[in-house]
Amino acid sequence: MAFRELNSKMVEATITPGQRLFSQRGAMLAYRGEVSFTPSIQGGQGGLGSMIGRRVAGEATPLMTVEGSGTVLFGHGGHHIQVINLAGDTLYVEADRLLAFDGSLRQGTMFMGSQGGVMGIVRGQVSGQGLFTTTLEGHGAVAVMAHGGVIEVPITPQRPVHVDPQAYVAHHGDVRNKLSTAIGWRDMVGRGSGEAFQLELSGSGTVFVQASEEKL
Amino acid sequence: MTHGPVIYDPTTLPVDDNVNAYTFCVDLDGSQWFLQKGKMIAFYGAIEFNGIGHGPLDNLVRSSFHSPLHASDWVVAQGKGKMLLADRAFDVNSFDLDEGNLTIRSGNLLAFQPSLRLKQSIVPGFVTLIGTGKFVAASNGEVVFMEPPIRVDPQALVGWADCPSPCHHYDHGYLRGFLGGVRGLTGLGGTSGEEHQFEFVGAGTVLLQSSEALLDERATGAVPRQDGVPGQAR
Repeated sequence: MAFRELNSKMVEATITPGQRLFSQRGAMLAYRGEVSFTPSIQGGQGGLGSMIGRRVAGEATPLMTVEGSGTVLFGHGGHHIQVINLAGDTLYVEADRLLAFDGSLRQGTMFMGSQGGVMGIVRGQVSGQGLFTTTLEGHGAVAVMAHGGVIEVPITPQRPVHVDPQAYVAHHGDVRNKLSTAIGWRDMVGRGSGEAFQLELSGSGTVFVQASEEKL
Repeated sequence: MTHGPVIYDPTTLPVDDNVNAYTFCVDLDGSQWFLQKGKMIAFYGAIEFNGIGHGPLDNLVRSSFHSPLHASDWVVAQGKGKMLLADRAFDVNSFDLDEGNLTIRSGNLLAFQPSLRLKQSIVPGFVTLIGTGKFVAASNGEVVFMEPPIRVDPQALVGWADCPSPCHHYDHGYLRGFLGGVRGLTGLGGTSGEEHQFEFVGAGTVLLQSSEALLDERATGAVPRQDGVPGQAR
């Protein structure tokens, strides 16, 4: 099941019986048909372990389960929405950016330190991701929120992409992710360019960048 | 990009149409428009803005303004020229009514022609426009038109036309049964935030905005206290 983009800030999803969808609580704008919205105690998928994991990691965004038959419109806070279709690969995204996603996707939590050790943790701090980030894996669609429009930048092995940590939204594919610093003496005396930290993404995949440096 | 900024002058500004997604241009030719205070951002020509209650306007107000609660928020623009309307960088759109009716959230309505009659809706916070003419409304994101039957989150509702029965709908099926009882007593698991909707049935059109965040209404009567605006006491 996919999301249909009605405009840049609204998506429509069709729900059929036996299929479910997770969405951020309060993100439903309107619906038609018999659809139920149940707050998910576990905040997503997996058992009790995953729930505790998410709580500890601070990635437990309030989610609800959407079931039934009908169409549902989603949108939140006037944020732009980017629909990302996954074909078996893993999407890395902050939990609070998730607007809605297919119930068939496997949800997990990743420790930033597991990609690049201490530098991974520093990277999480600088980009505002914190120590943990959410992963979604499988086949299905994800609707992600961003402040301002989203551009999709392809990453190829020959062309790594540098992204402002505050403008980073999400990425998927086989991507290595490291923080590159360009701190010189100018930054030390307060005359820096303001672009001392960048995320360097290399490998092959796609990174999504928002046209704003404002976090959600 | 391929081209630079477009520069408008009084002759090239559109006539009663959008300049871009966020700005609407009204062409006044001795005619009058009602507009909400503070939504005019610029004008060419000789246009007079008079508050409702201004003597000579009594006739006009009597025939097309029936909303005393909102009277202090509205002015009448008259004269010759072109004026630009905008609101908080919201998307702005004009709509035509032909012997029709439309009920809209009072904060979303920017301006309307006096050939329309404005009335307070029975639903608090909404006003109804009846008659034939053009009006300009703002919405957070583009407006999406939907046909009933539909249930709408209260904050996403912009307005509706022709629907005879807007009503409340409550939905807390998940609070039933044993687990639901535990949930209701302990508050465990929280609420979905979607227990309450507006329901529309019958023939008509429902207007939705893409966002649930209603920006705060700002006082627009006095000079706003804001950096860079002269003439105010700090």
